[in-house]
Amino acid sequence: MGISWSGRRRNNYLQNPPPVPPPLPPPPPPLPYYSPEPPLPPPPPPPPATATNFAFASATLSSYPAPPNSVYSPNPPPPVHAHYSTGPYGRCNQPNSMMGRYNYQPFYANQPNWWPPMRPPPMGQAPLPPQATPPPYVEHQNAKKVRNDVNVHKDTLRVEVDEHNPDHHLVSFVFDALYDGSITILYFAKEEPNCKFLPQYPDAFMPVRIPFQKGSGQKFRQPSGTGIDLGFFELDDLSKASPGEDVFPLVICAKTCAPPHSEDGHVNDPMQDASDNMQITQAVLEKRNTESFQVKVIRQILWVDGVRYELRDIFGIASSSVEGFNDNDPGKECVICMTEPKDTFVVPCRHMCMCSECAKELRLQSNKCPICRQPIEELVGIKINNDDQ
Amino acid sequence: MANSNLPRRIIKETQRLLSEPAPGISASPSEDNMRYFNVMILGPTQSPYEGGVFKLELFLPEEYPMAAPKVRFLTKIYHPNIDKLGRICLDILKDKWSPALQIRTVLLSIQALLSAPNPDDPLSENIAKHWKSSEAEAVETAKEWTRLYASGA
Repeated sequence: MGISWSGRRRNNYLQNPPPVPPPLPPPPPPLPYYSPEPPLPPPPPPPPATATNFAFASATLSSYPAPPNSVYSPNPPPPVHAHYSTGPYGRCNQPNSMMGRYNYQPFYANQPNWWPPMRPPPMGQAPLPPQATPPPYVEHQNAKKVRNDVNVHKDTLRVEVDEHNPDHHLVSFVFDALYDGSITILYFAKEEPNCKFLPQYPDAFMPVRIPFQKGSGQKFRQPSGTGIDLGFFELDDLSKASPGEDVFPLVICAKTCAPPHSEDGHVNDPMQDASDNMQITQAVLEKRNTESFQVKVIRQILWVDGVRYELRDIFGIASSSVEGFNDNDPGKECVICMTEPKDTFVVPCRHMCMCSECAKELRLQSNKCPICRQPIEELVGIKINNDDQ
Repeated sequence: MANSNLPRRIIKETQRLLSEPAPGISASPSEDNMRYFNVMILGPTQSPYEGGVFKLELFLPEEYPMAAPKVRFLTKIYHPNIDKLGRICLDILKDKWSPALQIRTVLLSIQALLSAPNPDDPLSENIAKHWKSSEAEAVETAKEWTRLYASGA
């Protein structure tokens, strides 16, 4: 249902140094594309079983410009559920996917024939640090898919005045959930390790937790009387994150508890037992010459099986996500050959514009994104409709 | 034969150019070389080239779209960024080429260049000098050349 990619490999490299100690101390982190992430809790090597109390996964969909449901599951509920029927925990298509995750391999769908000299198939060992290769090194790999059980449509997030309590504001938004769960609303919550969020001013507002039932396109509105008096805070404080980007004025935690057992009563995957999925939406509140507050979502985070992902928009993906590839649809075709569907995006600019063949070809000639001419650091392939049906 | 192994992209671009031409621009491939296009651009309104019909040739090299098309004015034109051989000074035809650009976008850029001459990055020193020293007079010359050489026919 969703796709994400993460900098785990790098983080893991940093935190789980390779078994053979390198001659030099581990190199500093490479330019972190996955922006300031607090140190990841090292996913305990093999079976994390109870990685922590939080083994969450959640939605990526709203991170894309298109209407969330149209992005990776063109026919929202039925196929998604069908898709989940193999196992309620976003079990990956490949039986060894969990292995993949825990042996420092963020992209388990690597195609070995892509950039073979540059990317030796990592078989359970930590990959080479990026610095080990010459500067024009460009990784070309496939995105890992991460399923999200709950997704807050970030463009629908609002704060509204509580009509029964005009000094107070209530949060509302639209969301999709594959399982029952709960929404927790926090103000000025700080991100702690393991994707925990701690309110900095619990006296002003205690987090509110509201349960929900599964369903897509649901409208959420915080119950009247549970709102916050935003007058308590300075407008300036409401309008920005803390300097370290760990405290946000408004944090929405959407969490699902996937049923631990399949219908026949057996645990589907013991490694994922009791895992919850979580999507966190971090936002600021602005008042621009208006009476009402505008919510601006700054970031969405996905917590899946003890791994934290940051959700980013991919530009140009929306048109590709709709079912079917029509040979005469300029929005879906690779901008270079104008023939194949585009399936590769460029990092860091996140322009999805090429097919994998042309991406390969382009790299022989140029280091620039065809759309914006920014240097290409990495190419990531995404398969949109195929392998999770 | 030059037309065998024509990339799908070129076929598609050609079809789209013919079925949905950009306003004021026509481009049709030559019969014996599908990589060679006969192009006509109408002088944009409110430019010194208004009313003119400018012929160009456009050629897609073997490396296209990794390399830019080669484009040249065949109609004489008085413009600081176009020289007397019809060569065009336009960044997207040189170092700013991107394979995401197309024949259509290139021709639209050339059309825009007619509306916005840039004497600070000249190809024709003399015309550029003229443009900078006495723009009104240069514009008059451009209009005159348009009447003389680009009147259609």
